[in-house]
Amino acid sequence: MSRPLFTSRDWFGKASAATVLGFPLTMALTCTFATLFSTDADAFSAQRQLAMWLASPIWCAILGLCFLFRNGARAWGWLALANVGAWALYAVARLLLG
Amino acid sequence: MRTDIVKTYKDVHSWVGIIAGLALFVAFYAGAITMFAEPLNRWASAPTGIAAPPPLDRTPELIDKVLRARPDARAAYTVHLDTGPDQPARLSWTTGTRRAPGPTFLAALAPDGVLQVVRQDASPVSELVDVLHQQVGLPFRRNIAMPIMGVISLLYAVAIISGVICLLPSLTKDLFALRFGKNVKRMWLDLHNLLGLFSLPFHIVMAITAVIFAFHDQIYDVQGAVNRIGAATVERRSPPPPGQPRPPAYDAVRDTLSPAELQRRIAAQAPGFALRSITYRHDARQAAHGDVTGVDLRYGMRAPTYGRAEIDTRTGAITEADYMPGRQGPWFAAVTSFFTLHFGSFGGAPVRWSYFLLGLAGAFLFYSGNLLWIESRRRKERKAGAVTQTRATRILASLTVGVPLGCVAGISLTIAAAKWLPADRADLAAWHSRIYYLVFVAAVGWALLRGAARSGSELLWAAAGATAAIPLTTILSPALAHGWSHPGASRLVDLVAILGAASFAAMARAARRRAVAGPRDSVWAAPAIATT
Repeated sequence: MSRPLFTSRDWFGKASAATVLGFPLTMALTCTFATLFSTDADAFSAQRQLAMWLASPIWCAILGLCFLFRNGARAWGWLALANVGAWALYAVARLLLG
Repeated sequence: MRTDIVKTYKDVHSWVGIIAGLALFVAFYAGAITMFAEPLNRWASAPTGIAAPPPLDRTPELIDKVLRARPDARAAYTVHLDTGPDQPARLSWTTGTRRAPGPTFLAALAPDGVLQVVRQDASPVSELVDVLHQQVGLPFRRNIAMPIMGVISLLYAVAIISGVICLLPSLTKDLFALRFGKNVKRMWLDLHNLLGLFSLPFHIVMAITAVIFAFHDQIYDVQGAVNRIGAATVERRSPPPPGQPRPPAYDAVRDTLSPAELQRRIAAQAPGFALRSITYRHDARQAAHGDVTGVDLRYGMRAPTYGRAEIDTRTGAITEADYMPGRQGPWFAAVTSFFTLHFGSFGGAPVRWSYFLLGLAGAFLFYSGNLLWIESRRRKERKAGAVTQTRATRILASLTVGVPLGCVAGISLTIAAAKWLPADRADLAAWHSRIYYLVFVAAVGWALLRGAARSGSELLWAAAGATAAIPLTTILSPALAHGWSHPGASRLVDLVAILGAASFAAMARAARRRAVAGPRDSVWAAPAIATT
């Protein structure tokens, strides 16, 4: 039995997961970055501006690489799991650093 | 790499490319031109009737006369250290509020010392090209066009990633191979790969920054909302009272340093920062303060053509340098690098020319991508037994000709119109926009009507003619209408237009040759025109 083949047939399942779940995942990662490196509460400090800019490469990478998931269901599953992990990381960062 | 992954990404690459390609062509062609927005502005600016700008040493006299005579200038006025056709006055000020700016006024001193004030009628044409660039040519309001542009930028990012994955397995074999032979598709693919790979860093920068230019407000909103969860509520600053604040009294705005003195003191603090303008500000909260713009080619700059800093206009001290080239901290320098890499605002003219050429090469990359799509459809369909092209392929081929050439001809013609349209019309921007879209829609319509093969060479001739209209305008409009011809860097506009027109003419001849002699089943074939 050969390995299941990748095809572009399930593109919608994968791309929708990367769009719908990729965005909150990106927000969790960039907000963690902002929490770790911010030195003040200024909403437009350089650190928060950089955190905003980082959203683009991260989300673009997720959108571009999502076709490497075996199928749409796996894409939704893994990205949902990654969201839980990333938001937990953010919560920990906030609890420790305020 | 596994061939099924490559095949998957080839499909992804084809489809995102075909959806985003034509919009990206407009963005890149217009974007390449915005690299020279300043020379274009100079070229398109009508001469004003005021006297030449006074030297910097006589500028305090001009400032004093303006502040006495014009209370509307007291809250904020700008002294320009660089003057020229596009910035003809030493001193200017913009009325209205920041959200709803009113007219800008220019001030000068007549030879007898009398104050002259005129309204500035800046040419909107380079602004139009910039808006076409930012909105990928969409004629919609900004809040509608920008999210669409953002989605196209995301597709563009996916196209970059998928394109690289497709190319990886055959990279060493194909990289420097340019097979100009019988197989036309092979040649286009080699060109597409070579261009795409060598301008990859440029494209990565453009995709990542364009996504942010489209969605920064939304991302800030979400990140801000996340950050406010569980945080102490901050009291919002009360909005400023509605309506125009009363202008400051003359006595309140007098005790500032002269532009020449400020220039000396800023040069001592930031050597290498060539000052371009000083804006003197005064408001009830901060009293006298100001900001400066300037250029330092050794560093990246936050704005497309300058960096800025805040100063104390009574002491000349730099009070804030977060956006000042070379003086900002590492975090701000990191943020500025995104803007700088998008705008090409570092290193001066060599970098601008490189970006101009990379932009044109990018536009060509999207055009060649569309060609490849059409050619491979032809092969697939021929294998399936079809001798003629399907309607979808014909329409796409027509659009691949009509949209890029409509954009090229539209931009050229609306630029040329700058010296024919009356410069003091209030709705000048709307006229430039109408000319562009009229040409664009006509070209797309013509391509759909006549088919890709015939319209290809015809529209290339039209693009060549429209571009040749730019230098012809410079020669003819002063004689036939109220046009003008400025010396200096605006000559560059005419020169580049001549080169452009010649290239389009050469392409038009090549396109006709292909239509007559190319493969008969191609969408580019029009054997009939050989006999007409």
